[in-house]
Amino acid sequence: MIATGFILAGLLGLGAYFLPVVQAAKSSGTAFAIPTLDPKQASVAPFTVLLLGSDDDSKFPPDRLNTQSMILVRVDPGSRQATMLSIPRDLWVPIPNQGYGKISWAYQLGGAPGAVAAVESNFKVHIDDYVWIGLNGLVKLVDKLGGVNVVVTNPVMDDFYPSDLAAGGDPYGYYRVAVLPGAVHLDGVHALQYVRSRHGDLRGDFARSERQQQVLLGIKAETSRLNVADLPALAGAFNGEVKTSMGLGRIRQLMGMAGDFDGPGINRIVLVPPYTSEGYVGGQSVVLPDWSTIRPLVHQSFP
Amino acid sequence: MRRALVSGLLVIAMLAFGIGVYQVAGHFKAGHPHVQRPTQTGGPVLPGTVYVVQGGAIYGYQKGRFSQLTSESGWMQPASDPSGGRLVAVRKQGDVSDLYLLARNGVISAQVTHNSSSTAELNHWAFYPRFSADGSQLFYDYDPKDWYNPYRVDLSIFASPVDPASTKAVQWTRPNQYTGGDVSPVPLRGGGLIYTKFSIDDKSKVHSQIWLQQRPGSVGAALTDPEADCIQPTLSADEHLLAMVCSSGQPLGGQISVTAFYPATASLGQPAVVARGQLLASPAFSPDGRTVAYLAPATPGGGFQLWTIPALESTAPAPKQITTNLDLDATSAPVWVEPAL
Repeated sequence: MIATGFILAGLLGLGAYFLPVVQAAKSSGTAFAIPTLDPKQASVAPFTVLLLGSDDDSKFPPDRLNTQSMILVRVDPGSRQATMLSIPRDLWVPIPNQGYGKISWAYQLGGAPGAVAAVESNFKVHIDDYVWIGLNGLVKLVDKLGGVNVVVTNPVMDDFYPSDLAAGGDPYGYYRVAVLPGAVHLDGVHALQYVRSRHGDLRGDFARSERQQQVLLGIKAETSRLNVADLPALAGAFNGEVKTSMGLGRIRQLMGMAGDFDGPGINRIVLVPPYTSEGYVGGQSVVLPDWSTIRPLVHQSFP
Repeated sequence: MRRALVSGLLVIAMLAFGIGVYQVAGHFKAGHPHVQRPTQTGGPVLPGTVYVVQGGAIYGYQKGRFSQLTSESGWMQPASDPSGGRLVAVRKQGDVSDLYLLARNGVISAQVTHNSSSTAELNHWAFYPRFSADGSQLFYDYDPKDWYNPYRVDLSIFASPVDPASTKAVQWTRPNQYTGGDVSPVPLRGGGLIYTKFSIDDKSKVHSQIWLQQRPGSVGAALTDPEADCIQPTLSADEHLLAMVCSSGQPLGGQISVTAFYPATASLGQPAVVARGQLLASPAFSPDGRTVAYLAPATPGGGFQLWTIPALESTAPAPKQITTNLDLDATSAPVWVEPAL
């Protein structure tokens, strides 16, 4: 009886500690669940995750968000190999049950399941889970991690960077950004500037895709230091800015093996020409896919 | 009565146990490394003074202790004149950055550039200031406007007299368009200029090269291959050695190489790698040219610390970590000067 009381008290203490994770799970509709904290051996089966990033500032109604960033990630815990494939946001594709459109519209039209379906049907891959993150979510994630280290390959200069995240600011205003080259430690705001800026680079959105992959690698390096006890502080900071279908077990698995993957074990793909070409459809600028080259490339990395 | 007392004590003990479990769970958190102000830390003694930047303030490191020279208000990228008697530094505030002359103790003596505008995109940047070898000129990065392509912002290297009253500025370099521009000027005693130039190849890959230019506007020549992806050149005081960071396209790694520099033939010797295996930034030679100071994290993902390594040893030397728990600005190369007279 007394032992049971102490066990219950201990579980209550543990439950209170992980309460932010449960609350985050409720607000984001995730499959987070405390019972999966058991120490069973993590699966070594490869899995594929679709990472989605949206501009969720005040310019957009919360239910009308496009995805500015789509990165397909395949993780093979057995071979310690991972592949990141950036999908151009303006890729002109058939969206299931919607007709043709930019692949970034799929999230607006069908939410995360719609985005997953659009990628699965066009790239002929199976996606196990998704993670969606908003602008503030990325800022908070990086800040909670204590910053992120990246190697800036060339100066990222933008005289028209949107100031839409400033509290009470003009959502259509802008300010100037200069991220200087070399190895740097970026806080959340500067990491967001780095992945979001696109005006001053010859490669436009492709450069942005490359920088997003760099920051993901930096985040991976940061999370390799963390463990499951860090999750409540992370989850508590997001407040609906992150949504995922991943269970806590898989998140724990990812955190546990983040340090096992290093540079050579990570394959990074950006669909630059000749995989894609720029074009116009209905008067708007789009990116046209060459599926005869894309699908064999994708099949190699996402069998 | 006694039974009630025991029950009450047990309930309190159970509550305490629950709170204890909560607290213990928190102790398993890795969290992130605690960052200290440089003035709260110390380290091994180095000869002379090393200037570094953290949180928008310039610090001097002397006899193993830091002293704060400026307020935390956007200061970055200090550089010393050849005598070591004064500094030039960037102050970045919002949409604009300007160059200032400072005494060795951090007191501002003059504002050199005036780049601010009330219209965001009409502001200018000034970065990477360096004194010429005779101390009479300043070389620095500046963003001339392209009125036909307002989205294009490419830094070019300019030079102007140190005299703040002078408005004569000469554009030295013409950057490749939409690369972000040319950066990191290193003026040479003979009048030339070394810097970092960026290019984008036909596979959309960015490359960086160390470039040598003899005169303003001349074409110049590459000192390194595009595939080596070298940046942040720095010269020893006698200009015989050049140190640089080369990444060979690796997203999270690089190496610091030291090589002989032959200005007469515009060439470099065989590079010797003195540091590798982590993120490395902003090398700078000691006044005697025997040691290279640089910035690198001590742990994966951590803030940048000050390190030193011998520049001339033939066997792979061991780096020496000078600082701990700092978050130094990795784009502000350490400035290592002789002791004040």
